Amino acid sequence: MEEGECMRIFRSLRTQYLYLFLIMAFTLFPFFWLVFNSFKPSREIFSARPTLYVKNPTLENYRWALGPKGANLGRYLLNSILAAGLTSLLTIVFATTGGYALGRFAFWGREGIGVFLVLSQMFQGPLIMIPWYKMASAMGIINTRLVLVLIYGTATIPTCVWLMSGFYHGVPKDLEEAAMIDGCSHFGAFWRIVLPLVVPGIIATGLYSFIIAWNDYQYALILTSSDFAKTVQVGLAELMGFFGKTSWGGIMASGVLTSLPVIVLFVVIQRYLIEGLTSGAVKS
Amino acid sequence: MIEKRYRVAYMFLLPTLVYLFGFQIYPLFENIRLSFTNLSLLGGQESRFIGWQNYRYFLFADEKFWLIFRNTLLWVFGSVLWQFALGIPSALVLNRKFRSRGLWRGLILVPWVMPVVVVSIIWKWIFDGQWGILNFVLREFHLLARNVIWLGNPRTVWFCLLLASAWKGFPYVTIMMLAGLQGIEKEVYEAAKVDGAAGFALFRYITLPLLQPAIFVSGLVAIVTTWTKFELIWSLTEGGPGNATSTLATYIYSNSFVFYEMGKGASLAVLSTIVVLFISFFYIRALRRSNV
Repeated sequence: MEEGECMRIFRSLRTQYLYLFLIMAFTLFPFFWLVFNSFKPSREIFSARPTLYVKNPTLENYRWALGPKGANLGRYLLNSILAAGLTSLLTIVFATTGGYALGRFAFWGREGIGVFLVLSQMFQGPLIMIPWYKMASAMGIINTRLVLVLIYGTATIPTCVWLMSGFYHGVPKDLEEAAMIDGCSHFGAFWRIVLPLVVPGIIATGLYSFIIAWNDYQYALILTSSDFAKTVQVGLAELMGFFGKTSWGGIMASGVLTSLPVIVLFVVIQRYLIEGLTSGAVKS
Repeated sequence: MIEKRYRVAYMFLLPTLVYLFGFQIYPLFENIRLSFTNLSLLGGQESRFIGWQNYRYFLFADEKFWLIFRNTLLWVFGSVLWQFALGIPSALVLNRKFRSRGLWRGLILVPWVMPVVVVSIIWKWIFDGQWGILNFVLREFHLLARNVIWLGNPRTVWFCLLLASAWKGFPYVTIMMLAGLQGIEKEVYEAAKVDGAAGFALFRYITLPLLQPAIFVSGLVAIVTTWTKFELIWSLTEGGPGNATSTLATYIYSNSFVFYEMGKGASLAVLSTIVVLFISFFYIRALRRSNV
């Protein structure tokens, strides 16, 4: 009797781990396949019998990706770092202020603004592209990193205001009231008392918007075409067009280099991000 | 005092509202205006007002429009369905107790944070007609006699596209469902077990109904965001072969930025917005009804 019970638990544990294995294999295999191939010499990449291990690992593909003879990704990576970095600064400014209002005050129209923020996540991409192209041309900022930062803001600010409002919600109200009684202005209390307490939120929103801006392909595709502003995503897509038949190893190395920053950042903010995303969904 | 505090709130909100009105709401209305013009970057002439001409062209004259409309529905509902078909079971599994469960929950989001262009590199290589691992595995198991050019064949390209889209999108659904599952009290299950429910019945009659609110909300988010996404399709197939995988979103893009017919593109964007608003409206109404 007791032995049978043990076997049952053992079996259910085994199937449980089997399911976990299947899910994780489906999730991670395509990514590992990219990483493996980026270390394979082209003889192994273009092989009739692809192997799940790398026989003769090489860095040749990475040299191609970064070197002047190959993809020369460095410049595009720099453009992406600048555009994404500035986007996260911009987003932090708007999310710390807007989020404070939304998370702290029960003012008239608060609900309407919440709905507006959720709705504005709907009107993205192709729905605003054409006027943006026209506006940017008229203002003479087409093909610059500035225009990318401005349009990325429309994608990051609504979500990040929500995210930040959750963080402000967790700060006890008494703190700033005490500070105001001690003679601080409201803005002073916000700046000196509240803001330092939501630093984790500021970091999370900053990194989140960095990821969103870094990953963007559609806006950079229409708004930048010169090497001066083109982001790494556009550069990478062009590589596929130019070398898609011959330099797969180099393209996959470029792919690894392009996804590495977001995966590292994601590991850092994972916990906050999951919390923020799911709590936002529950609220709305 | 209260009114003063309100003023502070509005002051803090003002920058965000100005930004979003200027850079998101204004373009939306400007787009409507442009849809009634023949704005084009070719030919060099001034754009002028042409009434409903663009709309008439797409709805009545353009032979591709309805095919593309059908493709859009296939793309959106196919993607979302697969994302849930994979996301709900994954959430059920990850909701169990595991060693280093946090790690697995984090890792499952890897596809979701990957840049779209890299996602398309990954799948292009897997589906490659000559060297792809999919062909190799299927041949090894004698399921295929000859290599298939997966992305070049109108009959197989949708399978590939939806698989890539499901892979990229299902982690988000998984995380949302996990959040929903955590809201279900343990006692409910214990009571059901006492009543003799087990296995699939437990899922069908307890878990699924209690997950319903989470499914509805994330379903709407998934539908609306997939509707306007064109990056994955564009970087995997460019809407091809032919127009087999063109959707409204890629059609807006190709009209405006490949053929530079921006007035036409703008009218497609308006039509696309109207359809997605309709779908959301009926979705929300259906949701309200089922709750009553």
